[in-house]
Amino acid sequence: MEAIWLYQFRLIVIGDSTVGKSCLIRRFTEGRFAQVSDPTVGVDFFSRLVEIEPGKRIKLQIWDTAGQERFRSITRAYYRNSVGGLLLFDITNRRSFQNVHDWLEEARSHVQPHSIVFLLVGHKCDLEAQRQVTRQEAEKLAGAYGMRYVETSARDAINVEHAFTELTRDIFALVRSGDITIQEGWEGVKSGFVPNVVHSSEEVTKSDRRCLC
Amino acid sequence: MEYETKSGRAGPGNPTSPRQSVRKNLDFEPLSTTALILEDRPANLPAKPAEEAQKHRQQYEEMVAQAKKRELKEAQKRRKQLEDRCKLEESIGTAAQTWNQEILPHWSTVCTSRRVRDLWWQGIPPSVRGKVWSLAVGNELNITHELYSICLARAKEKWNTTAAPTTETETEDAGSSDRESSLELIKLDISRTFPQLCIFQKGGPYHDVLHSILGAYTCYRPDVGYVQGMSFIAAVLILNLDTADAFIAFANLLNKPCQMAFFRVDHSLMLTYFAAFEVFFEENLPKLFAHFKKNNLTPDIYLIDWIFTLYSKSLPLDLACRVWDVFCRDGEDIFVQPFEGISRHHEDHLHPSALRPGSCNAVYSYLPEFTWSRQLLL
Repeated sequence: MEAIWLYQFRLIVIGDSTVGKSCLIRRFTEGRFAQVSDPTVGVDFFSRLVEIEPGKRIKLQIWDTAGQERFRSITRAYYRNSVGGLLLFDITNRRSFQNVHDWLEEARSHVQPHSIVFLLVGHKCDLEAQRQVTRQEAEKLAGAYGMRYVETSARDAINVEHAFTELTRDIFALVRSGDITIQEGWEGVKSGFVPNVVHSSEEVTKSDRRCLC
Repeated sequence: MEYETKSGRAGPGNPTSPRQSVRKNLDFEPLSTTALILEDRPANLPAKPAEEAQKHRQQYEEMVAQAKKRELKEAQKRRKQLEDRCKLEESIGTAAQTWNQEILPHWSTVCTSRRVRDLWWQGIPPSVRGKVWSLAVGNELNITHELYSICLARAKEKWNTTAAPTTETETEDAGSSDRESSLELIKLDISRTFPQLCIFQKGGPYHDVLHSILGAYTCYRPDVGYVQGMSFIAAVLILNLDTADAFIAFANLLNKPCQMAFFRVDHSLMLTYFAAFEVFFEENLPKLFAHFKKNNLTPDIYLIDWIFTLYSKSLPLDLACRVWDVFCRDGEDIFVQPFEGISRHHEDHLHPSALRPGSCNAVYSYLPEFTWSRQLLL
């Protein structure tokens, strides 16, 4: 049975090859770390519900993309219909951090006329000994772009929930304030099934039945 | 049987005291609860009436008989399985013989015959699979083993020169001109190719072979270079062919129009393939097509993965090889055939709502596993 959700947000996850995009998404949607992982070819998507406030659930549709430059022309078609994005780099790979700017440019030029709420993610933070990018410089960069910065680890399940929920909350606030609106023909934000205010258990079952059909 | 000895000892006519028999029986058969049924009751309770005892004995005998029957059935089933397996092995053996003695020596004349095509559809025996693939893919590009050696030597030269200076600043400089040098990406992807098989990882038996083929290809076709997905195709070939022959098959396979269009990411051509696929899909599986449409599951989401890896990433390897058999026989029509196999099954057996949006990764990662029925396999 489809669970009840207030909105559906479409998020896109981008960043260089092997920074850990798929592993981060899998940790978030499946709750486990994939010890073995193969390269993403083209795009793929996953989904999960997030409860941002008691009783307020958002369905996240998370688009995973191939990191290889060759696939840019394919993946860029998916920016337009995304409301949020996680821009990943690997804290143990300096080049992936240097490419953050290019990724952002790429996204911004293809999302027109919409815009994407981005979160900068320094991934693989469990590998502290191999760190090549300091937290300070990453925070500085994020600040310059007006984004939040968070460090995550899919392997040790650090900040994974936090990263997705924070981004979801930010988008939700913008939807609530009217800065982001639902538009026909745009997949970024969709409104879901909204139940009437439920008082008794009897009504719960009723509304459940209704959404089954 | 234990039952006999026990019933003899604990039977109603037995003179041993009940207490004793309890202890004895516990020593004797602690595992079975049936002992309790047959047991005389403890001394402080009235004895079991004769008919009840009789009834219990009868029930016990029935249970034993049933268990025996079940065991017999299991044994029969096992024997049947073994027979089937032997038969299968035998048929693979004879098929291999047919391929080796009758088909391969006269390839050019018989390869289009009805009989060969039928045999082909049933699956190529693993021992001749590589040879048949090679012949079917052909060598339009006239690549020789020497050319492979030359390309490989050039690749090695390249990765030796880039491997030597690995200080941070150097790689940064390299990054600005060629931000994702193919050679580096190949290295990263080799160990991510069929990771569960543990043969392509660093130190694994096929790591260097895969590295060589992909490296040589980037020197042979610098205009195409390395594209993610290729490593899977090369890996499947390596598992069935010698290195140089695998390279020849690899280069020729990638040179086919559909593969070229995708690996060069030729957008307009890709869209044409997607459109053709959708037409076929709608004609053959209208129900599922409508469901996909409703949930915005467009071909770009699953076909890219399927075509770039020729199904080898999303299907179990043995199934993927079967699909490749057919691909070598029928060409790119295959892209719709496995899909048809997958989906037709689902249209019949699964309510389309099982394919909810968001289970798309499931659509191609585990859906095929239980749909391509095993009978299609060798």
